[in-house]
Amino acid sequence: MIARKPLIATDRAALMLQLVPYLIGKGEVSIAEAADEFDVTPDQMRAMVETLTVIGLPGDGGYWQMANDLFDIDWDLLDERDIVVITNSVGLERAPKLTAREAAALLTGLQLARAIPGVGDTELFSGLLAKLARGASSTPADVILAPEPVDAVRDSVAAALQRRVAVSFTYKAPDAEPTTRTVDPVKVLIATGQWYLQGWCHMRKAMRTFHLDRVSDLELTDIAIEHGEDPVPGWFESGTGDIVARIRFPDSVAPLLGEYLDRAAVATADGVSIATMHVADEQSLRRLVARRAGAVEILEPESARRAAAAWAESGLVQYR
Amino acid sequence: MPANASTKNPPEERLVNLVVALVATEQGLTKDTILSSVSGYREQSGAGASKDALEKMFERDKESLRRLGVPIETIGDWADPDDLREARYRIPTAEYELPEDIVFTSAELALLNLAGGVWSESSMSADARSGLRKIRALGMDVDEPIIGYSPRISLREPSFAPLQQAIEQTRVVRFDYLKPGEAAPRTRRVRPLALVEYEGRWHVYGFDLDVAADRTFLLLRIVDDVTITRDTFDAALREGAGERAMAGLEDVAARNRALLEVNPGTEAALRLSRRALPADQGILVPFVDIHIFADELASYGPEVRVVEPAALRDQVIQRLEATRALHGGNA
Repeated sequence: MIARKPLIATDRAALMLQLVPYLIGKGEVSIAEAADEFDVTPDQMRAMVETLTVIGLPGDGGYWQMANDLFDIDWDLLDERDIVVITNSVGLERAPKLTAREAAALLTGLQLARAIPGVGDTELFSGLLAKLARGASSTPADVILAPEPVDAVRDSVAAALQRRVAVSFTYKAPDAEPTTRTVDPVKVLIATGQWYLQGWCHMRKAMRTFHLDRVSDLELTDIAIEHGEDPVPGWFESGTGDIVARIRFPDSVAPLLGEYLDRAAVATADGVSIATMHVADEQSLRRLVARRAGAVEILEPESARRAAAAWAESGLVQYR
Repeated sequence: MPANASTKNPPEERLVNLVVALVATEQGLTKDTILSSVSGYREQSGAGASKDALEKMFERDKESLRRLGVPIETIGDWADPDDLREARYRIPTAEYELPEDIVFTSAELALLNLAGGVWSESSMSADARSGLRKIRALGMDVDEPIIGYSPRISLREPSFAPLQQAIEQTRVVRFDYLKPGEAAPRTRRVRPLALVEYEGRWHVYGFDLDVAADRTFLLLRIVDDVTITRDTFDAALREGAGERAMAGLEDVAARNRALLEVNPGTEAALRLSRRALPADQGILVPFVDIHIFADELASYGPEVRVVEPAALRDQVIQRLEATRALHGGNA
């Protein structure tokens, strides 16, 4: 869901400049569809379209404009059927160039898309880069993603998705024994260089998310997938466990905790924060506090506190 | 109808009317013509607004439009280019519109849709959507969307947006940077040239004016706000900056290698072996930042032992000791 923030005049002007070429390109479009395309409410879209009809060329003698100097729409279609058709246009028919930021956002996204096996060849990518560079009104800032090596597991998952067959693999969850799984692949999530496979697990008979770094011995089966259309879980299902944990840390450390805090209740006083969150297992907490050594303290549960101390101690034993 | 329009038209109407007028003119319009004929100014002129106020409004509008990427050209007096009294303003169509010969194939559009969807909850997401909208308005359609993948780039650092803006505008920035091991942050003055994500963390690469050398800074360590100063620098410095930044980080990683022993089958083995090179005893893992790598290694507790370098081993021991002390273990 895209948040619909209030727009300032300049934003509204930018949308109007994009609206004319969009409407002309469409020929005929419903208010609802146009609102969706522009991330505005239907009422806002209607207001934008109505505003369009008072916009036009300066009048000839410096005074009032004639009707054909202004944009116009088919008012009957709008009033009766919520459909927009431009009947008179006075310019702006072709879309404006991309701003540097728009081009940068797409160029960086392309670098990530490029890591996906099979979605495009080098020629397609280099062609797109050139078009975006030429279509930008000024030079976009270099926003670069370090390329990630594509390994055999990722390649095979991509192939299974394409062929719509189940995969079987050994899965090693953190702090658990390895298990053998057969999974109907549905979606691959890619974030900060990590790949996660979402799919229907034949063993658990439910949708599950698997970190591909934890997957080994992956093979394609010849079982056609049956659960490809099932709803997949949301992006990260962290913070849904049964254990209630409380951690304490200086407020300045919060940015380093990132997604851990996304679903936590955080109370801050005098620069010290206490976060209360649900976790699926206590083991992950000891890893978190050792990573932020000395800055993040587990307050509850007591067993997780002891586990953190023991974790650090057994690490230190190796250096004696 | 327009003749009855209120004298206080919404500003976006005035802005769009100005664009229509300046695109339509070949030879350009003078400020006087604009103020007396373009709707939005015209009504206020008629209602007796002062010329001074209207001129200021026009200056602000020009700036707003330029920030949107609308190229407003000023044609000055040949004899005296600084004299703008008789200057004419226009928007050259070739500069304003997406070039006629740029068309996108269906396959390209499918890829762009995927690329535009990677930004979650950041201003980059709105920029990507807006860019896609302009491209889609060219009228091409996607036959076969790319499904099955949901790539995401996370961008939590508030310093990203001002740094990107400073790069675009080639302006020097100032920020407080806290290096691990130093007691207090130090103010840096930098010509920012590129933003780079490396191993899941955002960096800004640029020329540090105080040490007179290229430097790479971790956005996580920028404390407080980034200030964009009025000092500008030569845009030519930006050319190839992304590649130089990446090469620099790879150089550092090639020079810094840790010799580690990992327990097979553990989380540490899983996470580290992907990046590792084989060694006679244990594995060799390149790293770019000793503190961040020590953070990661400490999280593995007993699953990994640092053989060398000694500085890294000391950092890991320090973290484990602090963790043990904080959780009531023997100090």
